[in-house]
Amino acid sequence: MTFTGHFQSWFGDGAGWFIATTVLILAIVLPVMVGVAMAVYADRKIWAAMQMRRGPNVVGPFGLLQTFADAAKLFLKETIVPSGASTAVFIMAPMISFVLALAIWAVMPFDAGLVLADLNVGLLYIFAISSMGVYGIIMSGWASNSKYPFLGGLRPAAQMVSYEVSMGFILVAVMLYAQSLNLSAIVMAQKGNVLGVLNGNIFNPLLFPMGIMFFITALAETNRPPFDLPEAESELVAGYQVEYSSMSFALFFLGEYANILFMCALIPVLFLGGWLPPIDWAPLYVIPGFVWMLAKMAFIFFCFAWVKAAVPRYRYDQLMRLGWKVFLPLSLAWVVVVSGWLMFFTDKFAAVPGSVVS
Amino acid sequence: MPKLTVDGMDVEVPAGATVLQACEAAGVEVPRFCYHERLSIAGNCRMCLVEVKPGPPKPQASCALPAADGQAIFTTTPMVKKAREGVMEFLLINHPLDCPICDQGGECDLQDQSLAYGKGFTRYQENKRAVTEKFMGPLVKTIMTRCIHCTRCVRFAEEVAGVEEIGAVGRGENMQITSYLEKAVTSEVSGNIIDLCPVGALTSKPYAFQARPWELKKTDSIDVMDALGSNIVIGSRGPAVLRITPRINDDVNEEWLSDKGRFANDGLAARRLDRPYVRVGGKLKAASWAEAFAAIKAGLAGLPGEAIAGIVGDLAAVEDMVAFRDLLATLGSQRIESRQDGALFNTAARGDYLFNAGLAGIESADVVLLIGADPRREAPLLNVRLRKKAARRQSQVFGIGPAVDLTYPVTWLGDDAALLGALPAAVAEALAKAERPAVIVGMGALRTPGLYEAARALADKYAVVRDGWNGWNLLHTAAARVGALDLGLAVEGGVAALADAKALFLLGADEVDAGAGAFTIYIGTHGDRGVRHADVILPAAAYAEKPGTYVNLEGRVQRALRAVFPPGEAREDWTIFRALSAVLGTPLAYDDLPALRARIAAEWPHLGGGAMPPATLSAAGAVTPVSGPLALAIDNYYLTNPIARASATMAECVEQILAPLREAAE
Amino acid sequence: MTAIFRAAKSLLLLEFIGALGLTLKYFFRPKVTLNYPYEKGPLSPRFRGEHALRRYPNGEERCIACKLCEAVCPALAITIEAEPRDDGSRRTTRYDIDMTKCIYCGLCQEACPVDAIVETANFEFSTETREELLYDKAKLLANGDKWERSIAANLAADAPWR
Repeated sequence: MTFTGHFQSWFGDGAGWFIATTVLILAIVLPVMVGVAMAVYADRKIWAAMQMRRGPNVVGPFGLLQTFADAAKLFLKETIVPSGASTAVFIMAPMISFVLALAIWAVMPFDAGLVLADLNVGLLYIFAISSMGVYGIIMSGWASNSKYPFLGGLRPAAQMVSYEVSMGFILVAVMLYAQSLNLSAIVMAQKGNVLGVLNGNIFNPLLFPMGIMFFITALAETNRPPFDLPEAESELVAGYQVEYSSMSFALFFLGEYANILFMCALIPVLFLGGWLPPIDWAPLYVIPGFVWMLAKMAFIFFCFAWVKAAVPRYRYDQLMRLGWKVFLPLSLAWVVVVSGWLMFFTDKFAAVPGSVVS
Repeated sequence: MPKLTVDGMDVEVPAGATVLQACEAAGVEVPRFCYHERLSIAGNCRMCLVEVKPGPPKPQASCALPAADGQAIFTTTPMVKKAREGVMEFLLINHPLDCPICDQGGECDLQDQSLAYGKGFTRYQENKRAVTEKFMGPLVKTIMTRCIHCTRCVRFAEEVAGVEEIGAVGRGENMQITSYLEKAVTSEVSGNIIDLCPVGALTSKPYAFQARPWELKKTDSIDVMDALGSNIVIGSRGPAVLRITPRINDDVNEEWLSDKGRFANDGLAARRLDRPYVRVGGKLKAASWAEAFAAIKAGLAGLPGEAIAGIVGDLAAVEDMVAFRDLLATLGSQRIESRQDGALFNTAARGDYLFNAGLAGIESADVVLLIGADPRREAPLLNVRLRKKAARRQSQVFGIGPAVDLTYPVTWLGDDAALLGALPAAVAEALAKAERPAVIVGMGALRTPGLYEAARALADKYAVVRDGWNGWNLLHTAAARVGALDLGLAVEGGVAALADAKALFLLGADEVDAGAGAFTIYIGTHGDRGVRHADVILPAAAYAEKPGTYVNLEGRVQRALRAVFPPGEAREDWTIFRALSAVLGTPLAYDDLPALRARIAAEWPHLGGGAMPPATLSAAGAVTPVSGPLALAIDNYYLTNPIARASATMAECVEQILAPLREAAE
Repeated sequence: MTAIFRAAKSLLLLEFIGALGLTLKYFFRPKVTLNYPYEKGPLSPRFRGEHALRRYPNGEERCIACKLCEAVCPALAITIEAEPRDDGSRRTTRYDIDMTKCIYCGLCQEACPVDAIVETANFEFSTETREELLYDKAKLLANGDKWERSIAANLAADAPWR
């Protein structure tokens, strides 16, 4: 009997489903929030270590509670709505950012069957939600009625649109291999997919460059350095967040890190074999799947922080050039290469119902 | 007229000048401690050493060396430099290094000159000499360890102040300046030894440790404690007047200042009226300006102009008195009296009431007849001037009135006013033979009716007013008086004639018992005698708190600047009259000080910087025989006005200087 | 040919890999910063921190109200009022330093003839309100009592160069 089934047996169909789903949502959201706190801490700590600094080390053991202290501080601050601001939009913007950043987690599988909504078009859902994330930023930039936030709102609009295109092509390549839009199916398709022993698209020479490109695109999608132009503090003070304070600022901040964490989860699912161990060898399956998943997320997050410490910020024109003149043609060409390979050297397309095979 | 060269520059100096004066004439600075322009030459500090050719091959003290024809003076040679460094090193052997706690620090001759001419280090390791403090009274604080034995204070006391109460005992290193008997110095000009002292041995006791010279805002002003109009510098910090020092003006106060003018400054902060009061049911109650003005309007309602009168006090500035006069004019009254001490004299012509000989001019008088005057208390710096010749018996001074010690020989003839008509033969002869005879009539004497005419008759008899010389002098005691008389603020019969007034304005009039039975408005600074009968009190500004014009006893018009602002709600007097006039219905025609001054200059050009009117005398009035003892204007030198009476320092002077004197006299 | 190499180098992200390698190398290096609240760096004897008014060993306050520090203070942060004490000595009735104005130039302690006003080695005196930074005489004397050992040691260490 499923988890939802238990609740339905106790509370009836509708109510049982509602309560079960709420519990499941909380079971994802709360760890994600804690994860965000830890991610912020880890981010600062890694960054500091690479600059030979210590990073936060005072609040709690090893400074672990630093983020909670910062959150408490933000809680206690006054929420300021600028007199020239468009109040409703100004207040709504951080909510949109935050809610979308959490909603996107619905389709994320943490282990076999451990997923809130096992959508068969999970990848499309992710696309849809992450595209909407930009609205929060644009709205905040517009509603602040101030110069820096306005420029800070314009930038991500163009940036996200640009990189979503190439991101789409990369995902097409992955989908072609998995023959599915369901994330769990994509993971399972990677089981022993390379030479029969390695789990993960990343080990596939045809998909390895796609993995690297996806990682870079993920950086751009989440406004991480070196693509943090929307909040570039040296140019725009803090970009779209300039006029925000207290909890409204905290919501932006949480949403941003929730998105980052999500990207850190999506990359393993698409390229590193999700909850599967890297080698398709029975003893490794003793370790539970979600541990593998979390370990992979942690590794990708480390890479995010690593890049932040190593790479300087892109100029805006460089960002656009990279998106449209490098990533788009590269990913497009690579989709052709991948699909050509699949068409002529494998029987992937033959299995698809309704496909034309000569 | 010797001609000599100073550092190669040719100068010509008057005969009898010293080498040091010759150097000054050439614009060369010679350091000095003991030499002072207004004191005799001592030549004991040796700081003024210069090289003189022809002469002995050693540096010579320039202050004591007469300038001679053909001399060549050098002040910049290595010999002079070495000599100065040596002298400075000797002076500093026993001078303590306590500049940080010394009140002279920052304005100390020794500090400045050791910086400019000294060595910059010391070779002296031994213990320094220590000297016990000497008591010199409530005004002068002594730290005798700092003394460098220039003897300026001794010479000042002897030669200028005329009290031989400071001297030096012992020799060499054991020499000490002392007041001999540890008694307070009984001079009215003792404060000047503080200025004279080139080091911090003599400092101001009330000002001790109060402030540093660089902290003080220095404002040029005019002293109002007596009628001399001494030029002063008010040193203030924030709202407080911390000290008053003299400003050099050879025509008025030379470089001295009387003790009252110098030390009464703490009275500016004590017992001040800082808000208006209105008498309600026999008791004074604090009120706002609007309430006070309303009370005045109610009190004056229905009164005819002739029932309103005013009395001007001793400290008012010309601006205040003009506004006062204009205010009463709008009420229809011309009855303003300024002679609140009750003195009666002719005010028709300016020469009638001035000190015509002038402060500098009186020095050239060869026979002086004092009539009921005590210049030592009434005008200490005038006494200093009279003393210059009299002490050396180059002039003769006779006195009619109570015999007082003026610090120089005076032949007192008795205090009977009848003496005016029957001078002893010797006096009459002296006056008749005098080239420049002077008669000085005191305010105390003028309270005797008819005395003015009798004194004028005497003056006319001996022709004290003659070509190039006017020896007719009234010795005023109030800073405001001559200015008030210039404005015509006098009525026939004096203050006594105002007794019938129904409403009385007192502009700082504290020396008169007036206002009982009348609606009395007091405009002044201190809660003093004038508020006794006051129905409305309006707080005004004291002399340091307003820009003002003052006319001194010789008719000299001088302007003072504002040093600090009046306390609390107090305002400048003329602005009070301007505001009150608006409430009473006829606003005065000036809104600011320049407009008021223009109005003054239009009617009395000399008070606005224009030409002085001639000091002519009107014809003498009919003489009636006078007799009876003459009184003096001032009973207690230290307590002559509300500011001085509020001053703790002045009270201490009374206790420590006057009380022992009076005890001794009894 | 160069263009091809450059394109290949760019496509293979060689420079990025180099940068990542360098940062990873530093990731494992020992930290160069101090664990501040628990570890502190060395301070010069001339360090200019929080102010203090000192006393003589017999408990008498050193300050003699000469006001040289007030005069020399370029930020006009010092305010002194003085009057004779009962025993006739020159003392301050008020000695205020506005620490929000102070620029820690140290001229006051240079000017002081009796080593009364000194800048201690203490730099940890942040407060929650601005008012607490308006130091009065009592606060400065208390500082002096608290830091006397360190002040005396610093003055002694610096003495040979004065």
